[in-house]
Amino acid sequence: MQRREFLRNSLLGTAGLTVLGGLANSAEAAKAPIKLTILHTNDMHSRIEPFPDNGGQWAGLGGMARRAALIKDIRAKEANVLLLDSGDIFQGTPYFNFFGGELEYKLMSQMGYDASTLGNHDFDNGLEGLQRQLPNATFPFLIANYDFSKTPLAGRFAPYKVFEKQGIRIGVFGLGIELAGLVADKNFGQTVYLDPVAKAREMAAQLRGPEKCDLVICLSHLGYKFDSSPTKIEDRKLAAQVAGIDLILGGHTHTFMDAPEPIAGPSGHTTLINQVGWSGINLGRLDYEFAHGTKRGGLAQASVLPVREIIG
Amino acid sequence: MLHNPIRVTLAALLLGLVITPGCQRAAYVPTARFAPVTSQPVAKTQAEDPAIAALIAPYHDKVTAQMAEVLGTAPAPLTKAPGENPLSNFVADLQRERASKELKEPIALGVMTNGGLRAGFAAGPVTLGSVFELMPFENELVVLDAPGPVIEDLFEYAAHIKMAVSGATYTVTFDGQPKDIRIGGQLFDVNQDRTYTIAISDYLATGGDNLSFFKALTPRHTNVLLRTAIADHIRDLTKAGQPISARVEGRVKAN
Repeated sequence: MQRREFLRNSLLGTAGLTVLGGLANSAEAAKAPIKLTILHTNDMHSRIEPFPDNGGQWAGLGGMARRAALIKDIRAKEANVLLLDSGDIFQGTPYFNFFGGELEYKLMSQMGYDASTLGNHDFDNGLEGLQRQLPNATFPFLIANYDFSKTPLAGRFAPYKVFEKQGIRIGVFGLGIELAGLVADKNFGQTVYLDPVAKAREMAAQLRGPEKCDLVICLSHLGYKFDSSPTKIEDRKLAAQVAGIDLILGGHTHTFMDAPEPIAGPSGHTTLINQVGWSGINLGRLDYEFAHGTKRGGLAQASVLPVREIIG
Repeated sequence: MLHNPIRVTLAALLLGLVITPGCQRAAYVPTARFAPVTSQPVAKTQAEDPAIAALIAPYHDKVTAQMAEVLGTAPAPLTKAPGENPLSNFVADLQRERASKELKEPIALGVMTNGGLRAGFAAGPVTLGSVFELMPFENELVVLDAPGPVIEDLFEYAAHIKMAVSGATYTVTFDGQPKDIRIGGQLFDVNQDRTYTIAISDYLATGGDNLSFFKALTPRHTNVLLRTAIADHIRDLTKAGQPISARVEGRVKAN
């Protein structure tokens, strides 16, 4: 433990110096940067307990009580933590068949999730099934491209939310996948799917503009990529087509990404995409530092810290 | 886990990314700092949070108790085996019955492959847990409307592995071809201009288990999970005082 602490401190020191030496002037260096830790999951699929320890592919991995302890440990060390999820909380174990998602929402609330979006499986018990469980969630479901106005869920979901941490404004919005063909018609009813690209542009403009956000995050259940359907919208295409998103936390395709993928967007903006498999096998983590910069903006550098080895 | 500060520091420098925050209007400039592994495994070495574990415990006990609910009794094991077997006959038959009830029309055929069923029933009490083991997947019972040529493909596939099809009988020739296919007792004629209804899982209906000839068809939903259909059928049998049983009854004849 002491050794880990030492490594952590020395690494932070090294990386910090690299960045400061690279771009900051002495006045900026005098002000300590503000740090934000983003933790995230996707497609947890009712995996309350770890996978059975039976020699299967994911044997013994995951488990919400373990994840809670890991998150608590990080919260003890980091001042500013955002805990986010990218949908498909429901379906996959008897816990969902028996309790309809009640326990999933209660546990996420107790773990202090800040926001999630809606995945296709979150409709598996219909709009009524989703509505029944909403009181168990103390966190919002953000979704910008589903229009629920003709459904019993009208007015229940915001497109985005702005979080403030030590003066830093973080805009988070959600995008969902096309439901027709994926979800039984009766389960999504009159929910209208809207073009995610158009909605994402609207969100980025709103969050970068009037909301004056320093960081814009998209919780996406669109999927990382679809090799067999070249025209289907996915996170990579979204990042390439929409300016102003810093980070897409993805889901749906259960993609295990070794590292966030940078995608060059229009007007030179780079968007990072991350997705961490499914079933709570992994907890995603990205750390951001906010320098007191100019309003003109400019080059910032991202460096890499070994989260896994520090937390261990 | 390895702790190699030199390697990690080098990685930190080498993996540096350049980010341009496009239309940045806010006061702060964000800098992403992430690990070579930004997915933290939630593994066995990670201790549990006791408060969360305590919240889970009563639900766990209820799940365990419900899984132990006895739905019915099997006097003899229902096993799966290559070719026609009691387990596949049992499931394919109840698929037809349930789909017919849901869609309020007769269903000609029921198809379930061996691969679609994960474990048989042992002799004795059959619990909800046994049904979850038999059908762990969230597969929906659906209905296909298959024209003659697709039915022909189905029986060619079936004959190759001597698979039974609920609602039909056929004979496998010495070279593995189907002949004398009878659906509902009627001799099948590929040239007849009609469709046949098939009760099947959505997994198989969309081409799973190499049933690719179904892919072109549009499944009709029953909105009933196959697992639910199986559990309900066993409950109904028990209510009617009947055991869980099925047998090999010569749906596939070898020549």
